Amino acid sequence: MGSSVPPRFADSRLAVILAAVAAAAGIVVASGIVLDAHEPDVPGAVTMDFVPPPAGSYALPAIMRAPDGPVLDPGGRRLPLSRFTAGKITLLGFIYTSCADARGCPLAYQVFHTVRHRVSEDAELRDRVRLVSLSFDPARDTPDVMRHYATAAPPNGVEWAFLTTERPRTLVPLLDGFGQDVRVESDAHGRPAGPLAHVLKVFLLDEHAVVREIYTTAYLFPEVIMNDIKTIQLEDRLPRKVVR
Amino acid sequence: MHGNRIRGLCAGMIAGVLALAAVATPPAGADETCNSPYMGNLIKGQEDYLYVWALGVKGMGDGSDKLVTLDVNPASSRYGKVIHKISVRGQGEAHHMGFTDDRRFLWAGGLDSSRISIFDVGTDPAKPKLVRTISDMPTKTGYVGPHTFYAMPGRMIVQGLSNKDGGGVTGMALYSNKGELVATYPMPTTDGGDGYGYDVAINPQKNVMLTSSFTGRKNYMRALGDLVKDGEAMKKFGNTMVVWDLKAMKAKKVLSVPGAPLEIRWSLKDGDSWAITASALTSKLWLIKPDASGDWQAKEVAIIGDPTKIPLPVDISINKDGTGLWVNTFMDGKTRYFDLSNPEQPKQTYEKVTGKQVNMISQSWDGTRVYIASSLLANWDKGGADDEQFVRGFAWDGKELKPAFEVDFYKEKLGRAHHMKLGSKAMKAAYGLERTATLR
Repeated sequence: MGSSVPPRFADSRLAVILAAVAAAAGIVVASGIVLDAHEPDVPGAVTMDFVPPPAGSYALPAIMRAPDGPVLDPGGRRLPLSRFTAGKITLLGFIYTSCADARGCPLAYQVFHTVRHRVSEDAELRDRVRLVSLSFDPARDTPDVMRHYATAAPPNGVEWAFLTTERPRTLVPLLDGFGQDVRVESDAHGRPAGPLAHVLKVFLLDEHAVVREIYTTAYLFPEVIMNDIKTIQLEDRLPRKVVR
Repeated sequence: MHGNRIRGLCAGMIAGVLALAAVATPPAGADETCNSPYMGNLIKGQEDYLYVWALGVKGMGDGSDKLVTLDVNPASSRYGKVIHKISVRGQGEAHHMGFTDDRRFLWAGGLDSSRISIFDVGTDPAKPKLVRTISDMPTKTGYVGPHTFYAMPGRMIVQGLSNKDGGGVTGMALYSNKGELVATYPMPTTDGGDGYGYDVAINPQKNVMLTSSFTGRKNYMRALGDLVKDGEAMKKFGNTMVVWDLKAMKAKKVLSVPGAPLEIRWSLKDGDSWAITASALTSKLWLIKPDASGDWQAKEVAIIGDPTKIPLPVDISINKDGTGLWVNTFMDGKTRYFDLSNPEQPKQTYEKVTGKQVNMISQSWDGTRVYIASSLLANWDKGGADDEQFVRGFAWDGKELKPAFEVDFYKEKLGRAHHMKLGSKAMKAAYGLERTATLR
């Protein structure tokens, strides 16, 4: 087992994270050959101790419309986020490539990987689902960094977009629109100090870019996400709810 | 300060903080022991602030309900003092509060007005700011008396106590964190359901939500002395809890729990899958857990005080490892501690009269600091000299509750002290100005 982390990141936290994620996922990355693990274990992940209700047996209410704004794709092209939130059922999460908390971004990455694998095996879903990882950190997560980050998720027929923004000013409205918090640790005098923190959230959007479910660490289970995706898919035969 | 300048400053700030190491904060098992498992940013060290949702009293100060902030850090020169207060319009029977999942906003409800006040506590935790008021819950949902505010990812469950007719058949309203109504879920009235509502508590790993039951507006807004003499009215209290399929938001089973089961607390210990509640009118502790076949059951496990004297257990607070439970009994003013080492057989190991009337109780994550507030409901609080209104802080060493500070809410012209939530200056959010602007 090896890692194909680019040399420029050989001693960076990104390299460590990619290697850890790959190892945890059982991903074999060598000479361009990548094998997906089906049920990777994630340190710190919460155990699912229930059988989720079957897809289509419950409703996913329309929580809010996803925000829109300019983002950068790995090629550095400036595109509207709506290009990546509408038209397909979309699983979207914010990440930092430097985030090393096992129950944070790496966990989300891991779950995305598992969901993507399962979607790829479902002929009815393969072309109707995409994943989006959007960086919190425009200063460090340039399109080039995101492109390298994406190398751990080679093409398998299911779209996975790795996006960033040009600057904080374009990022903030997106964070704001999704309701994704970012918190600054403070010292005893209330001055910013220590790491930047956030509550891990992953958003499931329908094909109309409406948020239909939000997951956190306490409920980020691939089985549940898959059922939710299928529940939305089954709605095509039903009247769609009006969303503000 | 103009919006563009604010955005510019914040953009600069963002660039600065993003240069710092970044970590994700996983939601832990609960709040400082008694809140939603979806809440992140738990205060596991010394809290700085205690937010108190207080009922306005006519002729006292401005007479309005208000959110009062106390400094509760012993290292502060303002320890035990009121450092901030913000009033909302009129007297709406201020009652309970709940943080959003990211702890940036504190939602607070009025049982009489049915208004929900949303305070920004992330931008400046020492100075909460009212950023939105939801006034149309009755017209949009049919439910009144917003009671429990329970965080879910990106949204808030609001449990109603009543309906527009003042009866007890009610339901839950689900709002986005921005304050938009997302869905409603009626309390079950079939298969044993009585339609009443009170508290909400979720166990994500089990995909279970539990709800409890109280009474309707006609009862909770009535003077307690009159109410207890009205036999028909006293029949109109909830006697059930409901086990819900959380993902589907569908009632799975109605449990018989006679006597108005109120606050619900899940054990926070890893691997535990039980919850406990206290029934107010029958003065008992009930254990809710699955049996050997996985079927959820409610079981009476302890008596609280002398039920014939109706001590009226109200708020409870479980410690972080599920081994102990504080129980406040309103009528006798006692704060009791139950050993939960064996949740099947809780044993009271301590009691102390902490006031002439006591209702809410909150504890720090480590359990060494305990806060008690006095008011139950405006028309249920005692009269005359027994109508003490306070927040009292105590130190708990495992053997004795030792007084640490007290704020007399009548002397300070603040009204009746009800629900309490902890705050910390370390919880200051980044980019607060943009978020607040959007919420408005």
